[in-house]
Amino acid sequence: MLPLIGSSKLLPKLLHDFRVAAMSLLHATWLPAIRTPTSSGRPALLVWADTWRVAKPAGPDITPALHPFTLNADELRGWLKDQDLLPNGIIDATACLTLPSRSLKPRNTRNSQVQSSKADQEEAPEWTGLPLQAGEPIPKNAEWWPWQVEGLALEPSAATAWLSHLPLSGRHPDLGDELRWWSHMERWALSIIARGRWLPQVELSKGEGYPHRARWVPLLNREDDRRRLEELAASLPLVATCALPWREPTGKRSNRTTRLRPEAMREANPIASCRPRSGRLRVANLLEELVDAQLRKEFLVNAEGLDHLLASWQQALGSETGVINLSSEEAERLATASHHWREGVAGNVAPARACLELFSPTEGKELWELRFALQAEADPTLKVPASTAWATGPKILQLGEVRVEHPGEVLLEGLGRALSVFSPIERGLDNATPETMQLTPAEAFVLVRTAANQLRDVGVGVELPPSLSGGLASRLGLAIKAELPETSRGFTLGESLDWSWELMIGGVTLTLRELERLAGKRSPLVRHKGAWIELRPNDLKNAELFCSANPEISLDDALRLTATEGNTLMRLPVHLFEAGPRLQTVLEQYHQQKAPDPLPAPEGFHGQLRPYQERGLGWLAFLHRFDQGACLADDMGLGKTIQLLAFLQHLKTEQELKRPILLIAPTSVLTNWKREALAFTPELIVLEHYGPRRSSSLSKLKTNLQKVDLVLTSYGLMQRDIDLLEMIDWQGIVIDEAQAIKNPNAKQSKAVRDIAKPIKTNRFRIALTGTPVENRVSEVWALMDFLNPRVLGEEDFFHQRYRMPIERYGDMSSLKDLKARVSPFILRRLKTDKAIISDLPEKVELSEWVGLSKEQTSLYQKTVEDTLDAIARSPRGQRHGKVLGLLTRLKQICNHPALALKETTVEGEFINRSSKMQRLEEILEEVIEAGDRALLFTQFAEWGHLLQAYLQQRWRSEVPFLHGSTRKTERQEMVDRFQEDPRGPQLFLLSLKAGGVGLNLTRASHVFHIDRWWNPAVENQATDRAYRIGQSKRVMVHKFITSGSVEEKIDHMIREKSRLAEDIIGSGEDWLGGLGVSQLRELVTLQND
Amino acid sequence: MTNSNPNHSEITTALGEEGLGQQPWWVEQWMELINSYRFKKRLERAWTYAREGNVTSIRFEGRRVHARVQGTGEDPYKVKLWLDVLNDEDWGYVLEALTQKARWSAQLLAGTMPADIERAFAASGRRLFPFKLQEVRSECSCPDKANPCKHISAIYFLMGDRFSEDPFVLFQLRGRTRAKLLADLAEQRREVLAAIAAAEKSISNANQNNANDLAIPPHPAIVDPSLWWRYEGSLNADLVVITPAMEGETGLDCAGELPLAEEPRFPEARQKFLCHLKEQGQALAQKAMLLAMTAGD
Repeated sequence: MLPLIGSSKLLPKLLHDFRVAAMSLLHATWLPAIRTPTSSGRPALLVWADTWRVAKPAGPDITPALHPFTLNADELRGWLKDQDLLPNGIIDATACLTLPSRSLKPRNTRNSQVQSSKADQEEAPEWTGLPLQAGEPIPKNAEWWPWQVEGLALEPSAATAWLSHLPLSGRHPDLGDELRWWSHMERWALSIIARGRWLPQVELSKGEGYPHRARWVPLLNREDDRRRLEELAASLPLVATCALPWREPTGKRSNRTTRLRPEAMREANPIASCRPRSGRLRVANLLEELVDAQLRKEFLVNAEGLDHLLASWQQALGSETGVINLSSEEAERLATASHHWREGVAGNVAPARACLELFSPTEGKELWELRFALQAEADPTLKVPASTAWATGPKILQLGEVRVEHPGEVLLEGLGRALSVFSPIERGLDNATPETMQLTPAEAFVLVRTAANQLRDVGVGVELPPSLSGGLASRLGLAIKAELPETSRGFTLGESLDWSWELMIGGVTLTLRELERLAGKRSPLVRHKGAWIELRPNDLKNAELFCSANPEISLDDALRLTATEGNTLMRLPVHLFEAGPRLQTVLEQYHQQKAPDPLPAPEGFHGQLRPYQERGLGWLAFLHRFDQGACLADDMGLGKTIQLLAFLQHLKTEQELKRPILLIAPTSVLTNWKREALAFTPELIVLEHYGPRRSSSLSKLKTNLQKVDLVLTSYGLMQRDIDLLEMIDWQGIVIDEAQAIKNPNAKQSKAVRDIAKPIKTNRFRIALTGTPVENRVSEVWALMDFLNPRVLGEEDFFHQRYRMPIERYGDMSSLKDLKARVSPFILRRLKTDKAIISDLPEKVELSEWVGLSKEQTSLYQKTVEDTLDAIARSPRGQRHGKVLGLLTRLKQICNHPALALKETTVEGEFINRSSKMQRLEEILEEVIEAGDRALLFTQFAEWGHLLQAYLQQRWRSEVPFLHGSTRKTERQEMVDRFQEDPRGPQLFLLSLKAGGVGLNLTRASHVFHIDRWWNPAVENQATDRAYRIGQSKRVMVHKFITSGSVEEKIDHMIREKSRLAEDIIGSGEDWLGGLGVSQLRELVTLQND
Repeated sequence: MTNSNPNHSEITTALGEEGLGQQPWWVEQWMELINSYRFKKRLERAWTYAREGNVTSIRFEGRRVHARVQGTGEDPYKVKLWLDVLNDEDWGYVLEALTQKARWSAQLLAGTMPADIERAFAASGRRLFPFKLQEVRSECSCPDKANPCKHISAIYFLMGDRFSEDPFVLFQLRGRTRAKLLADLAEQRREVLAAIAAAEKSISNANQNNANDLAIPPHPAIVDPSLWWRYEGSLNADLVVITPAMEGETGLDCAGELPLAEEPRFPEARQKFLCHLKEQGQALAQKAMLLAMTAGD
């Protein structure tokens, strides 16, 4: 039997001293205007949140069922306040939203007769189920049902103010994706306002009871705005617009409870669902709401000197509701005039547009051809010639998936607009169904140079021949061929390449002489090698300049030119870069287009490398040859330590290891490094520069460093001893858990970056980390400054160029550029990568070696001394119990002194009192960052409670703890929630006994055994909660072992499978009682290593 | 008719001093029509009358113009104006002619009144615009026996301007609204196309399998309900930095003059209205850019 020591009753309610943040997800849905007797019929934004709870399936009754997973208005208010997201001007509201739902039969079908007859009276709903939540696995047959959702409503102007402060980029665990969509919409609205792309309009009443209104209407005719509309419409998360026109029971969005009678309710709101439709018009309408709300709020009315009509219009434009105070006749007149005014600038939002396609003349001909076509807005590559549009007549034209009604009219309207900016096409519209026309060279030039953009801005597509399309390829640039010189090994960056180049424009090459000849024609469009090209004024000058300079290029240039598109050499864009086979190999490896050549484990390495580890080793060696710093950022558990040790051994074997290497790591992993180095690379001579016995003077350190290959130290000591360590001529600096230097201004990171700078001789730099560094813009600068300072430049520049645009606005082009720059130096493989997964066993066991803190050490030693004496003196009959007690207490000390001392709070320095705790926190940090889920097993219930309190405090989120006294229903809820809640807890604490069997917790990809049990079978059984045969993901099993302590002995026995171990497996802990004092002493005494 | 300038859009009229400024061609044409009137004195009086704001309302109702003019009496006089309506046969000819040139439909659809529209009407032997003022029929409730009386003449003056609010009202006066005309044109075009198709059998095959019969493909969110919540987009690069309009590129710049007939007693009103909108537009643009700069903080 497994003893579960202690009882939870001993523990006061220390867990609830602080508020555990509810795992809710915030949503925002637009509520269209509904006119009721008490409301002005204005639209609003409904802010609501869903959260996990146990709920009974429900279905629509007289009204849609209440969404069982939403926070009520008060909870929501409190939660928004905590998140610092509470909007101004909110009112409690209920709306009816259509949501994907899961069909479920009501749970209590075995009801007593009384209940069921009662249910009959109330007519059981036709359908029952539960609404799905974002991120929940989608059932095969999802249905769509209306749900009553409680939330807070914001009037449009309050909504825009709130939306403009939402983050524009990044995933936020508390914010639904659609909030980012909303924030992008709002940003677009701001851009429309900043560019003044709006016109005021008058809109007539939509029917009886609706007023005429003055509106601010965005103009969406320009090419960029049309593209944006298509993008945002195509990516519209439907939850943003899934509200049904629905009258609340109260008849108004407020707290008042004058409920409608059920019959009235039923009549007002037939049970219906909204059908997802094309988003284009909806999104255009939403944009209009956002633009209108903001302009209306800020507009200052000044009606002085205006006649009655204009004065009323202006007044209404600045009023909250927009209601215009005019007779219908006058309002109609304003509506007609304002509509005609707008018509001159922008047309309606349509799924397709007219398109003009220009074709260059065939050989020997003068005239250019312009063809008319119809083009889908959503995908400009979907086109049909005008003839098809004409032939379609009154039918619907299908352009891919896009349906175009009245294609002929759409085409004609576009041509009418085209005519207003490019008059030559008048000639082409002389017959009833024009399809094509001819342009003179002069007209074609006007089209290419200026009219094309103007046409696009009135909403007409223009397709030019590729060589004239205005893109980079149509500019004069270079085509380069390069190769490493015969004699070169390709290992130094400054090295010159053998190369040749040609001028290139519009996809064809030309010589300088040809360019001169063409430029001499003084015609803007010239023909060369069959392609029409456009020469620009400075082209000839730039080309001449380049020819006379005839520069050399180095490997460094080649790497830069091939990193991203659009790179230039002396102002000329490089259109083509052809690398010879040997250079190509270097470039591919550098840009990681090809996996680096694997390097087998070097001689003297005691262990096996998995194939991906050999590739990692090859990559480290590859960058080392170029003297480039490298960051190995493999997922946790893929063996970064092993790859680095293999690399050091590789240097040693190649006799390239001449001076010592400094490895800096958090204190908590130094023990682990020492252990692993001893196991895998026994040839490496390791010096520990930590603890009180470390060298304190330069001469002493230098003496100690003789013949040493690797020096281990902690970040803290490195910073403390920087003056001393700086004096050593290190061959390389390695930093483990490199996220430790993420804050560029912290003293610690400055010290690390300083010590990495070479003094006299080269110093290689390697960083190890398990976090996705390349995704964290704020952290990448400090890392690169450590690895390769030139790559990202000074910090201020980096901040302006990359960090601001990416972090604040999510600018993808800057991010792409940044990634291209840093990606050659970062190798990150995930355990889920296909190439990796096949190399990994299904369970990866990782030993986490940890030391003991000062407090732990002295407590441990004192306990051993005191108890051993007592055991020796006690009668045989009591000895067994005492031995067990000792072992338990020692294991508790290894976990945390607080556990052994029966403390009940986790205040103050809790984390620093235990090395194991520190290491655990570091690993969990990575797990949580990666969005993974983990099971944590312990054999001590008290430790579970302490740990739960600590972890909840640390991550401010709930960590369930399942132990012996957890009730059965609670257990099931914990398990369900862990397995199913899309935003469920990432960490799950279990007692080894209660949680070790029978549960299915396959959502976890990490298992932690915080303390050791004598029997590996028990541990394996627990591990199998997360792991199931046939599962495609890999499970990482972390076993904590306190070095030198009883835990190490246990681990040793299990590993060695000694006879003793077999006894243990057979008989639990009974045998311990039979140990002699000296055997016992050997087992428990702390070994100093 | 002196439609000499084929570059339809804008012509400076000789009446600039009277506050009309740049006018679309049809306003000019209307003014020419009035100026061809023989009784200059009466016109002058009518102009003063109009300018002083005695015309209290002008309404286009179906094929007629209804107006009220405050005369010397207590109640305003009721004025009616109308043109001879084209009958269906005439319209038939007009439509046939309009269908000949795609440009006419194109411009009408894009909200432009084609400068040479009369050529289409010529096919029916009729006109869109009245050729002589006598063609404009009128009635006034004033005791004055002369027609046009000064009340009617005052309406003449204001009519031109009212045409620019909606030039297509002319079609309405001739018997068809713009919407009806466009629908008829589409129908006519279909017939022409059908005729062509019949002539060239080959085309028809291509259209047989056309889209009408195809079922609407299900919305992607029906296939994948997770689209209800998913948004993977990142901020469009153009929205990273919010920039102001380039010179002359705001909506107000592009839209130009507000086509609203002037209220004679407030000759500056339109200008003031637009100026104020522009000023406010700039101030609001500034605010929007400031707000955009602090976003995400």
